[in-house]
Amino acid sequence: MTNRETPDPRPKSEDLIALRARLDAAQTKHEEPTAKGRQNDGRILGQAWRMSTELVVSVMVGLGLGYGFDHLVGTTPWGLLVGLGLGFTAGIKTVLISADKMAQQNAGVPIGDDMPDDIEDE
Amino acid sequence: MATDPMQQFEIKEKGDLFEIAGQTISFSNSALWMIVSGILIVGFFALTLRGKLIPGRLQSMGELSYQFIADMIRDTTGPEAMKFLPFVFTLFFFILAANLIGMNPYAFTTTSHLAVTVTLAVMTIGVVIVAGIWKNGLSWFKIFAPSGLPAIMYIIIVPIEVISFIARPITLAVRLFANMVAGHVMLKLFAIFAAFLVAKGGAFVGAAILPIFGIMGIAALEFLVAALQAFVFAILTCIYLNDVYHVHH
Repeated sequence: MTNRETPDPRPKSEDLIALRARLDAAQTKHEEPTAKGRQNDGRILGQAWRMSTELVVSVMVGLGLGYGFDHLVGTTPWGLLVGLGLGFTAGIKTVLISADKMAQQNAGVPIGDDMPDDIEDE
Repeated sequence: MATDPMQQFEIKEKGDLFEIAGQTISFSNSALWMIVSGILIVGFFALTLRGKLIPGRLQSMGELSYQFIADMIRDTTGPEAMKFLPFVFTLFFFILAANLIGMNPYAFTTTSHLAVTVTLAVMTIGVVIVAGIWKNGLSWFKIFAPSGLPAIMYIIIVPIEVISFIARPITLAVRLFANMVAGHVMLKLFAIFAAFLVAKGGAFVGAAILPIFGIMGIAALEFLVAALQAFVFAILTCIYLNDVYHVHH
């Protein structure tokens, strides 16, 4: 009882139990939402950056490949146009796949083909 | 007073080292700060290397960093990819250290140059390609042609898959570079604005408090971005490593 460092596992009275419960409640209310919220902010910022660059760069790669093809074969401007279309498609595809993965992580529920049977049947 | 916000990204040669095919290789301020970040990383982990059964504060910092990367690889790629832990670990901590060092006054942000970020990204995608072919042989190229489609679809699908694969290293490099440059230019612009206001004198000196508050806010955001971009680079490396192990998707 004289050792103050180790907390006493058995509270002496009802008052102490009630106090402990209130302290715990106050602590969890105080700590968890802010920590989680801040973490989510960072993650969302990261996801936004990821998807925007994926889309833009895919279009640019498609354009570049089309332009290069034109330069080699001499089919200006068809390679450029087809490249633009393919690049845009590739960008949308990549963004959709990443969005799918992010939604999976966030909700904990698989999306698309991997739908659990009980949901799929409805 | 420096009035050019891009001046901070200037490469300064500190001395010539040797020549390769007529091209002089010099030791630059960028190389210097890369070495500094390398020394800081090694120093940090040398400090936290204690090996006690019950870790103290320093040791748990080291162990948490290991745990963080290990969990990232296990969750995104799978336990079979743990071989790549040293690679992802080095990548994450090098980018993190370089970004954070760049936040210090007078330090040079090595990750603000495309040459550096492209090297990191090409290395990453090179690891994916080499490890993929090493493990799966030539059947690795099936990632460009998902199975179970009518033959005519491959004319469209294969170029799309190739484009999205080529886009990967470019997105990695451009994202890191653009984030670092944008943040530092913004900081510099606000700082130049504040300096101009102070130099004007009179009532303008009081108004300089506004850009200074702006600098404080952006600096806080930049610390978040510095950590975030290292994290994004590492987790995307893990996602791309999926292609080594899961060819049939």
